[in-house]
Order: sequence, then C-alpha cells, then structure tokens
Amino acid sequence: MTSEEIAKGITKGVLEWSAEMLTSFIQKLNDKKLAFIQEKKTIEIVKEQYNSGELKFYQAYIEDKEMLFVVKLGLTLRRLEDDKDRLNNLQDKIFTKYKVSGLHIAQFVQNGILNRYIGILIDKLTSIEDFKRDIENILDNIEKHVLFVKSIDKPRDIIKQTLTIIHSHSPSIFILSGVFSATKIVSDCKEELKTFLEDYDLEIMSGSDKEILFFKRVLKK
Amino acid sequence: MELISLKQVSENSKILLLSKLGYNSDGEFVLDSEGNKFLDRYLEIPIKINNMVILPGSTIILDNNELSIMKYMEEFGDDF
Repeated sequence: MTSEEIAKGITKGVLEWSAEMLTSFIQKLNDKKLAFIQEKKTIEIVKEQYNSGELKFYQAYIEDKEMLFVVKLGLTLRRLEDDKDRLNNLQDKIFTKYKVSGLHIAQFVQNGILNRYIGILIDKLTSIEDFKRDIENILDNIEKHVLFVKSIDKPRDIIKQTLTIIHSHSPSIFILSGVFSATKIVSDCKEELKTFLEDYDLEIMSGSDKEILFFKRVLKK
Repeated sequence: MELISLKQVSENSKILLLSKLGYNSDGEFVLDSEGNKFLDRYLEIPIKINNMVILPGSTIILDNNELSIMKYMEEFGDDF
C-alpha cells in the first residue's frame, strides 16, 4: 500500500487495516523499510538538533557521550519553547531518566547559559585541555555552579542559598538563573548579591522572560 | 524509509498489529506475550497504544517522545 492510499484511508475516517495489509507492513518493518510513528514533527525536531551548528561545537569539546546526549536534550527543549505541552512532556521525561541534575543540565543549555559560559571561558582561554575540563566540570557539578530559581522561591532564601554555595565551593563563575515567572525574583536579588559578593564581577543576561546573573570571581592583586 | 502515522488508525488495527508482532494490549497499554506492561526501552515507562511508535531494528516499540526517539537514533541510526 502506498502512502497515497493510506492518506485516502485517513480522509475516510478511522483507518482499518486488513490482515493482508498487516502482513505487508510487517515484512517492510522487518526489512527496515517502514516505521510506525505518531506524527512526523517529533522526528523532524529531533533531526534538526542533530544538524545544528551549536551541537557540532559542543561535540568538539564534550567527550562524555551521555553528557553530550543531555546537552542535545537541552537544545531540543529550546526548540520546543513555543509548544508548552511538548516542552513539559520532554522535561518530565528528562527528569524520569536523568533526575534533577540532568534536567538542570538540559535547562542550562536550553536557556543559552552554556553558550554564554563558554564565551566567558574563551575570554580567559589558556589551553584547549583546560577549556574542555572547565566545561565538563560545570556540567558534572551543575548544582555547585548554578542556582535555578523557581517561581515559589523567595529572594531572601535565594540570597542565603547563593552565599552558602559560594562559600562552600568558591566557584570561579557562579550563575543565578531565573526564567519565566522566576525572572523578577532573580532581578530582586541582584543589588543585594552585588554588595555581598565583592570578589565577583557581575554580568547580566537579560530578556523579557529571563534574568541570568553571572558572578565572575576576580583575582585579587 | 516509509513512515506511517498511527494517529488515525483504529484501536482494533493497532492491537492486531501488536499481536502479529508478538505483543498484546489491554486496550490502553502495550503488553508483552505474558500480559505484563511492556516498557519503553530507554525510559522504562509503560507505553500507551495511543502514543506508541514501532521502529525497525528487532521491532522496537517506544513511547512517542523526543528523548526515546533520540536514544533510538543513537543506537540504530537516523535513516528515517
């Protein structure tokens, strides 16, 4: 049966398959000439990410295959931002497979933070090996470098948590990320954190639906 | 590779297809030959027949989501 014939069946209503058609389908499936899908869009979205220039860049510097896969999921989340149902569904699946740290890594990519983080690293690039190590380090230890603010968080608690993380781990770059309904919470923490973190320079990545603060440690002279 | 959408296919035809492939269904979930809920290979979650995809490569039945499809492509290639 051709795709055209199948399409004709769809226009008639719910499609019924005969035993003969099923036998033919299974033969094609076994010969790897046929796949049963839900909608083409899922396949197209996935393939788009595999061909993106941004992914090709990450492939050159992230050697851990599973980590690179989570990065790909982050790019896919970004692609789905206009489709909330699919976005939420994929976030749930990432959480199921990779728990909260995997979801945070994917969101780190989705929100363009990894992009900017790499830009900061490139400014201070000493060697490719150090560069790779720094990228792997932040992805492996995402909770020590990034605080993802939730819409239910209170600025007072966020400031406290930020100071606790910075005092415990002294990251060279610390990131406070707020997107959508958490944007204003991050914005409200900004001035007070600047006062507390005098050993850090602040760089802000801002947009209508995001406020991301990069605190970059300054080496004392 | 030819792609057939299962979206407009009757539940009866989907169950027949599953049975020809050695699986079954309780009308909601894909079941294995022993009647247990068959799990997505990569997420280990039950698969609903109205959200399943069936892909070549020893007949892989997955939940229709980007993560499982990406994992499939990594394992079996992306020539579809």
